[in-house]
Amino acid sequence: MGVGASGRRIVVTGLGAVCALGHTAKDVWAAARDGAGAIAPHTFDPGPHGPPAHTTPAALVDGEVTGPLEAALGRRVGNSLDPFTVFALTAAHEALAQAGLIGEPVLERRAAVVLGHGFAGIHTMEHAYERFYGQRIARMHPLSVPKVMVSAPVSAVAMEFGVRGPVFAVSSACSSSGHAIAQGAAFIASGAADVALVGGSEAIATPGCLRGWEGLQAMSPTTCRPFSAGRDGMVIGEGGAALVLEGLEHAEKRGAPILGELAGVGLSSDAFHWTQPSLEGAVSAMTAACEQAGTLEGSPLLISTHGTGTPLNDKNEAAAIHAVFGARAKDHPVIATKSAHGHLIGAATAVQGIIGLMALAERLAPPILNWLGPDPDCDLDLVVGEARPIEAGALLLNAFAFGGLNTSLVFKRWGA
Amino acid sequence: MATVDEDLLDLIAAEALIDRGKLAREATLADLGLDSVDVISIVFAVEEKYGVEIPQDAFSDTVDLGGFIDTLKDLVGKSGG
Repeated sequence: MGVGASGRRIVVTGLGAVCALGHTAKDVWAAARDGAGAIAPHTFDPGPHGPPAHTTPAALVDGEVTGPLEAALGRRVGNSLDPFTVFALTAAHEALAQAGLIGEPVLERRAAVVLGHGFAGIHTMEHAYERFYGQRIARMHPLSVPKVMVSAPVSAVAMEFGVRGPVFAVSSACSSSGHAIAQGAAFIASGAADVALVGGSEAIATPGCLRGWEGLQAMSPTTCRPFSAGRDGMVIGEGGAALVLEGLEHAEKRGAPILGELAGVGLSSDAFHWTQPSLEGAVSAMTAACEQAGTLEGSPLLISTHGTGTPLNDKNEAAAIHAVFGARAKDHPVIATKSAHGHLIGAATAVQGIIGLMALAERLAPPILNWLGPDPDCDLDLVVGEARPIEAGALLLNAFAFGGLNTSLVFKRWGA
Repeated sequence: MATVDEDLLDLIAAEALIDRGKLAREATLADLGLDSVDVISIVFAVEEKYGVEIPQDAFSDTVDLGGFIDTLKDLVGKSGG
């Protein structure tokens, strides 16, 4: 069964990721599996024109990213791209290389690129405004606009790899890359493309932007503890993640590695509140994805939750899992890897999809970190402590964004 | 002042993402792969670090890194920064 009315089956043939857990999909997975969390206190200094520096937890990409990207691309990138574009390009290159698609004619003729971002080039924008308002210099950098615009990553990917089909960015806060995956799949299902590079990126750990998030009263001053007693909020992460989606026949014909199947997509909107989730919206998205994939009944799923660690999200998501699966709610092992890589906002679903696909393939669920003890409002089969062997053949992947925009996706393990 | 030279070299390396060891005075900007956008990025960083404003045409005759650094140093020094 395919994800669209056409019945065309859609598989995953490439993965790429860079985040606080590592610079490749394999390293990100290994760190998640091993419980090597990357949340730590960092000091953010707004500089001479801003308020004093302050220290807060975040999960930041460690080490050099542009240098290895330049080596991979064989050309100089320099400082011409905002970090959110560098992350996207890094992940895209890895995913396309794994899929064996770099330089292939299909990229030019029959491919789409859709990436999701909750924000845009915040590092560039904040620096430009520091200069403008703080130092009162009127002249702006000639690349300010191309570096800041939310479509910079998709344009960079299209230019780098010669993609001339549908290329654009989507945005729905914390669900952005979920919507990007859904849109890319729709292009393949409709026959408009044979290949879609999808995913997202985010780089918003700047002194000003983090203060904005703190203003929401949703940030943890300690760490991210999904579904735990005493959880006190989310922690910002950063990075990029990309998946190559491909029509099954197309992938088989060229002998591409098949890493999983996208079997269900459920999209919904709460039409309710900026920051409070709704049970109905979450239930609707999860149910739609599971119905399409045929996974509403039957064997246990691995559920990769939105699991932000905020008191409200986790309570609502647990209630939604109970509402969708009823008496079988606790049959499904539940993971929440934001406790390891932080909340990548627009890139969250894509990076969690990659971890989830690798978990299915290795039959191991990565542990929820920082968990202190049970909360009666989150009565689920939580994977805590260390990685747990699983039999699940499918992954349910949730994202419930501020503003009430929801995506649920079902991926199936390829092969038995 | 050697320290201003060193500071400027550090800043050029950081801003253009070039290995500091490649920054020889006699290398041309073209040899180093520095295009006009790199030059502007470096100029902006110098403006921000030293609190100066540098005229847009200051580097129209600049060919090599030594000349670039000398001109920057001159402009930074004039401002008293």
